[in-house]
Amino acid sequence: MTKLTLTNLTRQYGTAKAIDGINLTVEEGEFLTLLGPSGCGKSTTLSAIAGLDRPTEGSITFGDRILFDSKSDTYLPPEARGFGVVFQSYALWPHLSVEDNVGMSLKLRKIGAAERKKRIAEALELVELGPFAKRYPGELSGGQQQRVALARAIVFRPPLLLLDEPLSNLDAQLRQQARVWLKEIQRELGLTTIYVTHDQDEALAMSDRIVVMRKGKVVQLGTPEQIYAAPEHPFSATFIGNANRIEVNGGNTHASGECVVMLNDGQQVKAITPEPQLSQGQQILTVRTHKISCEPLPDATELAVNFGAESYLGNHYEQVAKVADTALRLTLDKPMPVGPGKIWLRHEDAIVFGPEQ
Amino acid sequence: MADVNAPSFTPTAPPRFSFNRAKAAQWFIFLITAALMLAPALPILLQVFIDRPLYAEGWEFTFANLVELVSSEEIGRIAVTTGVFALFTVIIAEVVGIGAALLIGRTDMPGRKLMGDVLMWPLYLSHLIFALGWVVIYGPSGFFTQFIAQQAGGAPWNLYSIAGMAVVAGISQAPLAYLYCLYGAVRSVDSTLESAARTVGAGPLQVLRTVTLPLMVPSIVTSSALNLVIAVETLSIPLFLARPARIDTLSTFLYGEGISAAEPNHGLVAASSLLLMLLVGSTLFVQRLLLQNGHRYETVKGKGSRPMLLSLGKLRWPMAFFFGTLLFVTVVVPIAGIILRAFTSFLSPLVPLNKVMTLNNFQVLFGSESNLRAITNTVEIALISAALGTILAVAVALVVQRSNFRFGGTLEALAYSPRVVPGLIIGLGVFYAAVILPPMGWLRGNIGIIVVGYVMATLPLALGVVQPAIVQISRDLDRAARTVGADWVNAMRLIMIPLLKPALLGSFILLFVFHLKSYIIAIFLMAPGLEVMGVTMLSLWTNGDVGELAAFATLQIVMVAVLLILARVLFKVKIYD
Repeated sequence: MTKLTLTNLTRQYGTAKAIDGINLTVEEGEFLTLLGPSGCGKSTTLSAIAGLDRPTEGSITFGDRILFDSKSDTYLPPEARGFGVVFQSYALWPHLSVEDNVGMSLKLRKIGAAERKKRIAEALELVELGPFAKRYPGELSGGQQQRVALARAIVFRPPLLLLDEPLSNLDAQLRQQARVWLKEIQRELGLTTIYVTHDQDEALAMSDRIVVMRKGKVVQLGTPEQIYAAPEHPFSATFIGNANRIEVNGGNTHASGECVVMLNDGQQVKAITPEPQLSQGQQILTVRTHKISCEPLPDATELAVNFGAESYLGNHYEQVAKVADTALRLTLDKPMPVGPGKIWLRHEDAIVFGPEQ
Repeated sequence: MADVNAPSFTPTAPPRFSFNRAKAAQWFIFLITAALMLAPALPILLQVFIDRPLYAEGWEFTFANLVELVSSEEIGRIAVTTGVFALFTVIIAEVVGIGAALLIGRTDMPGRKLMGDVLMWPLYLSHLIFALGWVVIYGPSGFFTQFIAQQAGGAPWNLYSIAGMAVVAGISQAPLAYLYCLYGAVRSVDSTLESAARTVGAGPLQVLRTVTLPLMVPSIVTSSALNLVIAVETLSIPLFLARPARIDTLSTFLYGEGISAAEPNHGLVAASSLLLMLLVGSTLFVQRLLLQNGHRYETVKGKGSRPMLLSLGKLRWPMAFFFGTLLFVTVVVPIAGIILRAFTSFLSPLVPLNKVMTLNNFQVLFGSESNLRAITNTVEIALISAALGTILAVAVALVVQRSNFRFGGTLEALAYSPRVVPGLIIGLGVFYAAVILPPMGWLRGNIGIIVVGYVMATLPLALGVVQPAIVQISRDLDRAARTVGADWVNAMRLIMIPLLKPALLGSFILLFVFHLKSYIIAIFLMAPGLEVMGVTMLSLWTNGDVGELAAFATLQIVMVAVLLILARVLFKVKIYD
């Protein structure tokens, strides 16, 4: 098995750490997504894997090859790693035609003209751009350019494909199609893929596993289901799936599972926590907007709130409800009348974390 | 896993490189540049501290040269003259340049486009030609001076003075100030800044004064520094205009001591070169201090945004008349004077033109073996130097901007170091180097030695064209090449260089024109058989062959004009644009 392993990887710029001691293993054939807001270090991590940026500490190995190791001062340049990279800007060479863009890697590998032609045709066929071989990048639409960039990255059949926000320059509709299409190609070729995005929908839809990153660190690593359903950190809960975040007070707990917290106005909420231990004092309660009900539910906490303004979003309404000086966002089929009212929270939907360090 | 329809391509290993190819290339570029920049500088330093010419046997270390330099009253006077001359040159150049940039770039003055073109002429021609034009028309026995003297009964002015020199040098350097201000500020300033000032109630002139002018400060500082350097090192203007009045500047002093004197005092020449370099170096240092937060790559390139035009109102035509007359008198008439002089045996308002019309000057010009050799040599040297200079510039720029070569900063500093070395001294340094450094010895006696001097002297100029062009190319493009298997050398060769083609062509043409008109660098490198046009023209002046010189100058004007027009028509390359 050819595994990619990052050990203690750190990239420092002056005193700032763009990535801070990351440990990660990518399995063969896996589609792994690095997800996080801008500045979280996801692109720096990708550049470090590609060899485009030299980390300051740690090591990167691929199978039995050491790509980077700060201790032995090993650093393989990108051309010696041979990974396919799709850039956010696509980075198509404007002076070369589509087929020359795609064929560059084969030329550099001294592959004969006939074989080269065949492989370029196959790659372009795969991205459905066969008839565009003679065009120049400037003559293509954004979506077509993105596909050329992909063809260029996979034509030499790299053992690892690195994608840096490849869909972020496409419009919303095209992005949806490209997502499905990209995933299909990846599955078809069985390519190990690392994908960088800040779009949670993309991450959830495409990934085998997601790495949630913040401030240069890995916050949580898991399958999309795990990340969504069982966030281990208030940041994963709020960044993915649009959860409310409320400062609360809670007591000591000594195991993960049920617990009780108190809002600032004294109302108590039955909740659960994924953390093995919580200490008394300030804690964080997260609740997803669509898990808040305006009708009584069995085994749920009833809370008195003040309903505020609503906005119409087509297939649902979003409404604000004030409780204990915090504005909760609710996703509702039908808005509630403005003024005092009640909401219900099932305890398994109310997730409590310890205070953030 | 892969389904049956999946493409059949198989994994391909990345190409293998001997790992250090990129490093080797980068070191090679570094060493070439370092050798080229240091080889001429070090011998000059050595010459300062020894008691006889470098090439003489048995020299000993001494401080006598420095002592002589510091204690010489004559050199003190020369330094002051040089300073005063340079200062007034800069003031004239900046006033005309800034005024032109505002009038031509920002107002609705009629004929501004044509005036902008005419203003550029002095930049394409050498100081030598420009000084000649002024002498022919406005010199003590010049055509126009004679005409006025005849009417008024006395010479109205004396061109052979510091003031005269400053006017000629100021006008010929005005285009540089104009270009910097036009592209650095007037054109590239976001016109919404000015519109914003208008909306809060400022009138057009207030906008100019409070918004546009302050934004021009970096351009003014930079062009002033460059013009000061050029004024300090210019030779032909003081040589033509000041020598007859027995005024010396540092450059004419160097020329006199190093070339014309029967027994050159090399120690003193080297020491005063050092003085000149210090003067120039401190100017550029001050400029850097003043512009610490300014843009890094000051260029004569700009965005083609369309700024709002200020209406001059009733002043439109008077301004156009004033500015047009200024250009006509200071630029068009002197150049026309040269051409007229080339086709006459004698130019005077007292003698009707048709009596003196002749082709004799050209017959003499083309009748001389050494003149013809100067022409072919110059073209040959200019072609080789422009090509080598462009290649070196792009190599240096790519290492500095697109590699993680450890000494990139040092390389850049080295490459820009000729800025502080006046052309005359570069020639002198190459001459010394060829005398004492064995590997450069084989360059003696062939054009190679002049090529070396030219390539070194113009490296900053070429970098000024190439570096901004590299900045325009996204880093992702060469990074992408690396990811598909190109090492640094291949990424540069396959991606960067093809994308830089227009800039390389621009650099080549700029250098070619520059070398064609150059006279100063080759002065110390001339030898029988190694004539170049500029230096030949200088000796024609010294010998008093003004007719032949005017013919030569006319030929050079035609060559430069044809070249620039061809470049514009064939390659769509506009130099300085």
